[in-house]
Parts: sequence; structure tokens; C-alpha cells
Amino acid sequence: MDGPVKELWLAKLNADVSRRRFLRGVGGLSVLTVLSPAAILAACSTAKSSSAPTAAPSAAASAAPPAKLGGVLNWLGYDGEQAETVAKPFLTANGITIQPTFLGQADEALTKFQTGGRGQMDIVSANKDFQRTVLEAGTEFMAPLDMSRIPNAAGLFPAFKVAPWVVKDGKQYTVPLIWGDEPCIYNPKKWDGVPAKYTDFADAKYKGELVLLDDAFGNIWLFSKSLNMPEPQRLTQKQLDDVIAAMLKVKPNIVAFGSSLGDMVDIMVRGDASMGLGGWAGQLPMASAKGVTLQIASPSTDGTFFWSDAYSIMLDAPNIDNAYAFINYMMSPEASAAIASELGSACTIEAAFALLKPEDQKLFPYDIVRRPDGGVLNTQIVLPPQKDDGDIVGAAKWAKAWEQFKLA
Amino acid sequence: MTGMVPGWNTLRQVGPAAAFYVLFFLGPLLILFLYSFWTMDGYTIVPGLSVASYVEAVTTSLYFAIIVRTVLIGVATAFLVVPIVYLLAYVMLFVLDDRNRRLLDLVLVSMFSGYLVRIYAWRTILGKEGLLNSALLQLHLIDQPLTFLLFSNFSVVVTLVGLLIPLALLPMYSSMSNVSREHLDGARDLGSRGFHLHRTILIPMTLPGLNTAFAIAFILSVGDFVVPTMLGGAQGTMIGNVIADQFKGSGSNWPLGAAMAFLIMAIMLAVYLVVTRALKWVTRW
Repeated sequence: MDGPVKELWLAKLNADVSRRRFLRGVGGLSVLTVLSPAAILAACSTAKSSSAPTAAPSAAASAAPPAKLGGVLNWLGYDGEQAETVAKPFLTANGITIQPTFLGQADEALTKFQTGGRGQMDIVSANKDFQRTVLEAGTEFMAPLDMSRIPNAAGLFPAFKVAPWVVKDGKQYTVPLIWGDEPCIYNPKKWDGVPAKYTDFADAKYKGELVLLDDAFGNIWLFSKSLNMPEPQRLTQKQLDDVIAAMLKVKPNIVAFGSSLGDMVDIMVRGDASMGLGGWAGQLPMASAKGVTLQIASPSTDGTFFWSDAYSIMLDAPNIDNAYAFINYMMSPEASAAIASELGSACTIEAAFALLKPEDQKLFPYDIVRRPDGGVLNTQIVLPPQKDDGDIVGAAKWAKAWEQFKLA
Repeated sequence: MTGMVPGWNTLRQVGPAAAFYVLFFLGPLLILFLYSFWTMDGYTIVPGLSVASYVEAVTTSLYFAIIVRTVLIGVATAFLVVPIVYLLAYVMLFVLDDRNRRLLDLVLVSMFSGYLVRIYAWRTILGKEGLLNSALLQLHLIDQPLTFLLFSNFSVVVTLVGLLIPLALLPMYSSMSNVSREHLDGARDLGSRGFHLHRTILIPMTLPGLNTAFAIAFILSVGDFVVPTMLGGAQGTMIGNVIADQFKGSGSNWPLGAAMAFLIMAIMLAVYLVVTRALKWVTRW
């Protein structure tokens, strides 16, 4: 290092550090720390999407090779449905990394979309009632799909080809991934099974043992059914108040509200609760991975509701090629059977049914999805009307009632 | 420098920080304030000028009860954190001498792990089958696990105290480091001892640090919603949870959430002013 430069360098190194100089330096470092990762990430994202390799066709895909695969796939939905294990061959072959965000309730995705998420979200996996509501309301959210880019979807069961949460005005907006029901989940070391009715959970023997998913609509619907409401998703204010009153009798037994399905499992695996309401078969492998065996069952008198979760591509999705290719891969019979088995749910592709284990084929009533009208899957609606409809209260009042239940 | 207008020099020095503050703090705050006067129609936010959200926030008895509980939790947390950090700073600066930096480093190292990681750690410690219950059972001090340790106000306060001590320690330490040992020695020579020494000499000299430590502990605990979500259980909801729910999803009501946010900010400011004035008064007996 030359003389004057070296002298300047040494002068800087050996200078006394005043508080003002120190704070100036820290401030500058802080700004760099905040801004530079964002800049680096943005640059990397741009670089990756502009230099992504052309995809090699996956073994299960039957479409022409899509262009510009690689990089990131931004995915929002329920834990497990991002299918990173099932889709690993496809993801690895195409250099795609899924960045998942998990939801407790489907409409959280709409909130994220409307608060700066538009243009940053690729795929949302949500339930049929939410998607149906959004489609009927005409809310800007899901993009109409180019089904020529998802040829494997031609193998869907008849019920999923024309369902009102899939198709609107001749355009398809979602691609169903799995379906199933909403059982209770319990620890068999503590319980032999579940009671006959949801209102039976008010029994003192459940004190300190219950965990509920923080899901306003699902929980209110289940208790509405338990109280034999004629239409559990269409309630008057008086009926809603009666449902909340019944739920409040159960509240002393509730330990916690799980912020997500995974959080529910975590609470049960740690032994802080032993019975979960509003559960899902997909939670069993989550618990098993942590060394705990849980079981599922539905109340014998009340039963439960059926659901179907479907992939949709968001308006202005930034990685749309990755999104189409991923969905097409997941609609292959092999992937459909694998994700259904992994999550303890039912498959949506007809040819996948034959690939399921015999015991798994009997878990759900597949005859309802072999019918174009979808049977109870179509007629059973869990979400309330978006707005008040005469005496029938809308979603806002359900949300308020749930809030009052949690705060009581 | 000669010839430069003093005002321009000041502006040049504070301008970048001020611009950052305006853009990333005041700007969003103003937008949130505007939202508090709008209304909801289904999933759609309708711009307008309505105080309906403020009226709903102050007249709903459940919200009032939650606000009271939240403020009490915040005060309890702050009243635990502040004496602890005061004591820690005193020990580090006037008892341990040159070794104090290592203790400060140990306290700050706890902040290196993620916020959620530390919260989950408390679940592991306080759960029915957690470290604490297991230890107490092994020592035969209890026959059954203590269920109040987790998913209760107790777990919320304990976790918040653990999370906020490192943050509150910094201003306390900085403030107390300006007090020289000679000040205290002189006070002792003149007959001041123990509590009198702290109340009349050390606390007044470190009042800015105490006020800042209280502000950090109180404001951050009142506004937190992650700790009550993960550890508060079915009975541990705080106002932060209620506000977060207004923005989260089903039946979301942004104007109501915004109105609640400003309401709780006003309450926090009022409590902060009362407590800091009271602290100043105590030192002037």
C-alpha cells in the first residue's frame, strides 16, 4: 500500500471513536443490512428467472415441455398440500424451489393478496367453499386457467370437472387436489374414541384436553349441525347466538386455539392437549414424524363435513410457468395417489384410485365424486353467505360471533 | 463551516434519517389512520369518513375487558423487567467492574436466536410434559403437572419478561454507565445508604434509562400478539390478537382494526406518562 494511502488508512484505523462517529457508522450499517438483502434477493430472483433452464419432461407429464421453468414457486395453503415430497422428482429436475406459506383459514390468502401480495403469489391451495364464494362474488383473486397447459386434469373425477368452485361462465379457475372430511383427532393413549355429538365435549372429563383450530366458519358449522340446525351454513342471529351459547359450554375445556393445523399437532404431540376438533387426516403423519401416534374419528351422531382443496393460480402470478407445470405434475395419477396417501385424504384423479392401497380406497365415499353433481360434496356448504340475506346473517356476523367466543 | 446556514447543516445531517422515518413509519401510520375512518362491505373496504369503528371499539364491553387485561399484563411485565434490568446494570457496572462486559454479552447473545424459536422454547419449558414440570415431578415436589404454567396469563408474562429483558437492558446500561463511582462514593460519605442512595441519587441520575426501559417493556408487551397466540391459550387473548384478527381473514374488518390500534396507542401513551411522572415524584420525596 502506498505512502499517503497507507497513512490515511492507518489514521482511520487509529482514530478515536466518538459516540457521534459510532452512531453514524451503525446507522449506515443498519441501512445497508436492511436494504442489501432485499436488493440481493431481488437481483437473484431476476437473474434466476431470466436464465432458467428449459425443463426436461417429467416422467408423469404428458404435455409438451413447458418453457422457462426454474427458480421459485410461491405457494400458500394448508400444511402438506405444497407436496414437496411427492413433487420432489419434478422440482429437482426443473430446479424449482417451493416457498410455502401456511394458512389457518383459506381467506387469509385473500387478505394477503389484497394487501400487497398481488404479483407475488403463484399458487393458492384453498377449500371449495371459499373458492366458490370468491367466484360467485366476482372478487379479483384467481386467474382463469389455460387448461391446455394442464392436460393431466382431463383425468379428474366427473364431480370435479363441473363443480361450482371449479368452473364459472365456462372458464375453469381451480384444479382439485384432494378431498376428505373434517374429523376429530385424538390421542389413543388417553381416549378410546370421540363422543357422539360435538356438544358432548362440554363434559367435564375433557377439561384441559381440547384444542380447536382457529377456524370460525368450520367450528360454528360443526356445532350448528350438532344442534340440528336445518341449514347449518344459513343461520339467523338467534340461531347463531344459540350455537355460540352451546360452544361456550365447551370453552372451559379448551386449552388453546391452534393457529394452524401444524400448530394443533405440536400442542398435542407435546401432551398439552389430547383431543383436537376440526382436524384433518393429514395431521396423522405430522404427529407420526414427531414420534407420536394419533387417531381420527368423527362423532357418530353429528358426523362432519366434506371438503375439497384445489390449486388455483393467482392473478399476476410472477412464476406462472412453474405454477402450470407443477399443477400438471400433481394431476398425474401417480402424484395424485401419492399426495392423497401422504395426507390421508381422497384422490381427485380417476386413474389414481386404482393406485391407492385397498384399505385407503375404502376410507371415503368415492361414489359421490363419480357423479357429475358431486352429491354431498356439492350440496354441503360450510361457509355462510358473504353478506346478510334477509334474516340470515352473513360472514361478518359469524366472524364477530367467533371473536366473542374466543374473548369470553 | 463558515458561510453555511446552521439550519441547512442540521437538515443535511438529520435529513436521511428523517426521510426514512417519514417514509417507513409516519407514512404507513397515516394510511392506517385513514383506514380507521372507512367502512367494510363484505370483503370490500369502502373509503369514507365515519367514526363507527371508534364507537364500536370503545362501546363493546368485551373489547374493554380485553384492553384492561392487556394493559395489566403490560404493566406486570414492565414492573418485572425494569427492576431486573436495573439490578443487572447496577451489578455489571458497580460490582463486577471489568468483567461486566462478558455478562452483557451473555444477555445479548440470547437475542441471536429467532423470536419464534425463543417462544417455542418456553413451550418446551412450561408444558405439562415440559422441563419444569418434569423436574418438579422427579423431585417429588408435586404429584401432578402444574397446568397453569402454560396457556395462561402466567406463561404470557414469563415469556414476555424473558424476551424483553435483553432489549430493556441496553438503555438502562447505557444510562447507568454515565454515573461514575465517585458520585455514589460521595453520597455514601455524606450518609446515604441502601434504598435511600438508589432513590435519591442513582434513580434520578438514570431516569432517562429507566423511562426508556419501561417504554420498551410496556409498549412491546401490550402490542404483542404472537406470545398470547402461542402461549396464552383459550383464555389468554390480548388486544393485539383482536387487532390482528381484524386484518387476517374471515370477516376481516380493517377499519375496526385500525381504530383499535389507535385507541390502544392512546392508552399506552397515557399509562406511560402516568408511570414516568410517578417515578419522578417518588425520587423527590
